[in-house]
Amino acid sequence: MLESPQIHIDPGSGVPAVRQIMDGLRVFLVEGRLAPGTELPSVRRLAIELGIHFNTVAEAYRQLAAEGWLDLKHGRGAIVVHRAVPPTPDRERTEDYRNRLRALVAQMRSEGISADGIAAELRAMAEMVTQ
Amino acid sequence: MMKLLISLHVFLGAVLLAIPNMTRRELLFAVPVSPDFRQSSAGRRAIAMFRLVVAAAAAAGIGALVLCPIRLVDTLQPPVAAGTIVIAVLAFYWQYRRLSPFAVEIPRKRAAALSTAPDRLPGFVWLGSGPFALLGAAALYLYLNWDRIPERLAVSRGIASPGGWADRTTKGVYGELLFALELCALLLLVGIAGWYGARRSRSRPVILGGIIAVTYVVAGMSDLIALQPVFGIPEWPIILVVVAALIPILVIMAGKMSHLGEPLDPTPQECWKGGVIYYNPSDPVLFVEKRGGLGYTLNFANRWAWILLAGLALVVATGFLLLD
Repeated sequence: MLESPQIHIDPGSGVPAVRQIMDGLRVFLVEGRLAPGTELPSVRRLAIELGIHFNTVAEAYRQLAAEGWLDLKHGRGAIVVHRAVPPTPDRERTEDYRNRLRALVAQMRSEGISADGIAAELRAMAEMVTQ
Repeated sequence: MMKLLISLHVFLGAVLLAIPNMTRRELLFAVPVSPDFRQSSAGRRAIAMFRLVVAAAAAAGIGALVLCPIRLVDTLQPPVAAGTIVIAVLAFYWQYRRLSPFAVEIPRKRAAALSTAPDRLPGFVWLGSGPFALLGAAALYLYLNWDRIPERLAVSRGIASPGGWADRTTKGVYGELLFALELCALLLLVGIAGWYGARRSRSRPVILGGIIAVTYVVAGMSDLIALQPVFGIPEWPIILVVVAALIPILVIMAGKMSHLGEPLDPTPQECWKGGVIYYNPSDPVLFVEKRGGLGYTLNFANRWAWILLAGLALVVATGFLLLD
């Protein structure tokens, strides 16, 4: 039997907990480790295990549902659904991704990682999380 | 009888002296430290100072009981025991303050499995029904031997003299058992609530097992007290049985808790008031592993904590009515 994937959060990282949960879950969803039909832990259980407020987990589930990854039905919890490939993101969204990547790349460069190294890392990651 | 009384206070003192050992290796007086900190000079000095204060308090209490007139022993005994405990709590807090600068940073990272597997209680939980069977058996025996119970029975809750007298009525005969039934039910409820209301960890089965073991002690002690009038059981074997049963429970729990092999629950240090009271409104958990001692403590920012405490107060209040 496959072990359930584990989600990690670091309250000291400065990144809001809701964002950490969304990012962590999205990686598993894109990689297919959380396949359609998979039921996620209840908001209450996940909040207790992560030591964060119920509303934070509920908000992360809601946002992922809005992205089309989850189905939230009252009393049934959160279930992963098959998500149709979304249309090409609009200019504004593409610009947002570019800005976020720019900041990350700048940080990596400032820590001495070469441009080739960053490109290889990004390529490998993009291939790994192919839907 | 005086020897028994002294033994009882020696036992209390011994339990209080063992407090620094009744926790994980990564904690000392509720302060997160490195596992080898206990062997350092600061760690050893803190333990020695705590034990010196507790030993002096216990010795002073025993001395007071030995020297006071025998008619005052029963009156003096509860404040002496309470005083020893209060001094131990103050000594604990003193060491907590002294060791706080040595606290190590606990990584705040948490992980949770994305699993919906049911959080089942451990298989041994059925043992929790045993104490109720013990209480039921004693009640049945008393019912079947009603005529053997004296019309007026001594309620011997004092060391030097009977605490009072009760008539052979339902309340007089079964009161002790009913109170124990309430107490065992509450303990079991707390144990199960602790299982579901705490984060998944290796300490959960240890704590639940310890609570179930304590319910056996409560039921066994109450059985012996309730059967006292029929069998004429003296007070001292009851106390000895209780003490003898509690020692292995404490030793086994302390041994298991100190070697759990998993990291400390990364609860924020600033949410531990005085090292022992956990108050974290951002954490939805109801029970957290204690920082000082064995078992759980409540997250006092959770409203269910206060509902549970109200239930406990209700049990104690009805206990007074049943035992009056």
